[in-house]
Amino acid sequence: MNWKKFFFAFIAAFVFLFVFGFLWYATLMHDAHREVATLLRPEADLKSYFGWLALGQFVMAFFFTLLCARYIPGGRAGAGAMLGLLVGLVYAGPHLISFAVQPLTFKILFGWIAGAVIQFTIAGAIIGAIYKPATEHIMYVREPSR
Amino acid sequence: MKRFIMAFIAAYIFLFVWGWLVNGVLLKDVYAESARLWRPESEMRSLFHWIIIGQALVVFAFVMLYASGFAGGGVIAGIRLGLLLEIAAIGMRLGFYAVQPIPGKLIFYGSIGGIIEMVIVGAMVGAIYKPASGKAVS
Repeated sequence: MNWKKFFFAFIAAFVFLFVFGFLWYATLMHDAHREVATLLRPEADLKSYFGWLALGQFVMAFFFTLLCARYIPGGRAGAGAMLGLLVGLVYAGPHLISFAVQPLTFKILFGWIAGAVIQFTIAGAIIGAIYKPATEHIMYVREPSR
Repeated sequence: MKRFIMAFIAAYIFLFVWGWLVNGVLLKDVYAESARLWRPESEMRSLFHWIIIGQALVVFAFVMLYASGFAGGGVIAGIRLGLLLEIAAIGMRLGFYAVQPIPGKLIFYGSIGGIIEMVIVGAMVGAIYKPASGKAVS
């Protein structure tokens, strides 16, 4: 594992997940979420739970970066995006289940699914572009002399 | 393809039974403490197909992930994939906890259940799915 590149990839992923989450879920979907206000904490309470949100994003970014580093040891944005797409789909499943058990609207369901898929696809591409394996893990094959 | 389908079916059956056992039986009382967050049971029953589709999507995407990057590593690679995905999902759960008044113990027990679930799903997929080319990942 190239821990220096891993660290940069993790920081970039964390910043992206955080900013995307704020823009998508808290800004674009703000009105949709207000339609089910009883399912949400009052806005005044949200500040006191902000630490949990930040910790959650931190954990998500760290382990997603670890997954990318194992899955695409050679790096590459395209492979990272593909991995992110599949991970986004794994996480979209529980949103469908939440829709069945919580009184969510279709607008929220589609917003959450699209958000998960877009968020992880882009995060995967970012990690894939930044993370490169340590040079000792690269094998060179000597060509036979002619 | 045959192995893919077998892994999908086996993991799906496990996920379905485990989901029912954890959420429908073991944590039933914990869910009841926050009843206003959940649909009435009759409504849930009418939307049950969404649960089936959601679980199928989780398993399908998991097997796809395993087949495209972890296959060949066997049970250990499957468990590793399940663990990484589930721990990242705990991060997502913490995000939900920050914005929804879900009881903390539901997040805690749900996460423990989730880890056990994904470790077993990973082990099953790793044991059943075999790559055609014998490509191995440690």
